[in-house]
Amino acid sequence: MDNTLLVSLSHQLAAYRSMDVIANNIANVSTPAFKKEGVKFEEYIAAMKPSETETGTQYVSFVVDKGTVRDLNEGRMDRTNAPFDLAINGKGFFVVQTPAGERYTRDGHFQLDTDGNLVTSDGNKVMGEGGQITFSPDDGDIHIGADGTITGKQGQLGKVRIVQFDNEQMMQKEGSSLYSTSESPKPAEKGVIQQGMLEASNVEPVVEISHMIEVTRAYQLTASMTQSQQDLMREAVSKLGDMPNM
Amino acid sequence: MRALSIASTGMLAQQMNVEVIANNLANMNTSGFKRQRAEFQDLLYQTIEQAGAQSSDSGTILPSGIQLGAGVRTAAVYRVTSQGDMSSTSNPYDLAIQGPGFFRIQQPDGTDAYTRAGNFALSPEGQIVTDKGYVVAPGISVPQNALGISVNAQGQVSASLPGQTQPQVLGQLELVRFPNEAGLNAIGDNLFLETPSSGSPQSGLPGASGYGTITQGFLETSNVNPVEEITSLITAQRAYEMNSKVITAADEMLQQTARMGGS
Repeated sequence: MDNTLLVSLSHQLAAYRSMDVIANNIANVSTPAFKKEGVKFEEYIAAMKPSETETGTQYVSFVVDKGTVRDLNEGRMDRTNAPFDLAINGKGFFVVQTPAGERYTRDGHFQLDTDGNLVTSDGNKVMGEGGQITFSPDDGDIHIGADGTITGKQGQLGKVRIVQFDNEQMMQKEGSSLYSTSESPKPAEKGVIQQGMLEASNVEPVVEISHMIEVTRAYQLTASMTQSQQDLMREAVSKLGDMPNM
Repeated sequence: MRALSIASTGMLAQQMNVEVIANNLANMNTSGFKRQRAEFQDLLYQTIEQAGAQSSDSGTILPSGIQLGAGVRTAAVYRVTSQGDMSSTSNPYDLAIQGPGFFRIQQPDGTDAYTRAGNFALSPEGQIVTDKGYVVAPGISVPQNALGISVNAQGQVSASLPGQTQPQVLGQLELVRFPNEAGLNAIGDNLFLETPSSGSPQSGLPGASGYGTITQGFLETSNVNPVEEITSLITAQRAYEMNSKVITAADEMLQQTARMGGS
């Protein structure tokens, strides 16, 4: 009897979770290189007592959220023409040195700090093949080639390091477009760097909005089911109370 | 319910985006103006289930964890310092910088400001000044009887004087550059100030290695591309709308919840 309410509750909690994930996707529709997430639900089967007319164990399924799955597809490329905006076409991550250790990102909006180092907008240094990348004002216009080779007026200045991982789903998002992982990075093989471009977020507004409608409707259905279940119980109680005294 | 606060961070971010675009469009015809872009980053994540955690004794692991994001934040509004177009004005005191560098301007309070807008004029004392009357470094005075002035690519200012066949050299303009131009602080009136993130200014002569050259009779237009801005405006507006839809949907769910226990 109570199972109806509990099963509905498990679905309602799942709907709340989905809504949070959708809201985060939509909020990040303009975040460069943001990877959208989806919620994965699973069935949790519990045994319950058989009803009077039936024999054997009966089962009831609850909903459990089992994970958030990241969609690793590439976002579209936006042209910004800023010389230090870099996009990776294909697999790969830039390496950023943060106070907490090496972090990885695909958001290639970089700039220079006071000392001419290439840094992220939080001021963390972007790593090249041989450590940090430093420019002097004499380098003039900087050209960054498809393989990450940096050339200035005075010749080659280094190479932007891009790495890849065996299992990108295992990477943790850290906020500020950074990822961390316990896996060891490998040199990226297929990533091609595009200068003056930024990878846009891969959130597709139409898909998110339709998911959102779906979740709201499903939630409404469950809520009205809970309501009818309550009505049913109330009616049963009052009917039983009306029974004439024997 | 997180969705409400997440969507509000999204709305705030898009509002900022529209403000930046509006400022770019408003300055479309401001000489030497450099367009800005708002850059967004995702906010912190709450890890509910760690990806890669062991799911059994035999070493099987969870292929994906549960991470819930908290929305978006504006990480920076940065200046795109690409060169604007050159527009011809035929005014001898209009100077454009072709390549990197800024003119140094002496403000009335004695401090320096920097600009790429070269719409200069003469002060009553004959000095080359900005349209606000601030002296352009190093402070070049043009004699009152000068028939005309010419500025060459290296910034050398010379005047032709009556009765002289050779033009007289009055001085040479200087340019300054910064390790990080994007870090300059804009104070309005096309002026910029040095900041800790821009690094300290390095002076040099126009045409020297790493400095631009000067073109007389031209002004550098803003580098705002109206088509690009309008497209971003539409995208920002739609994104704002979608975030507000999320708030409505979350609100509906909460209403439903409130009604459940009733009657």
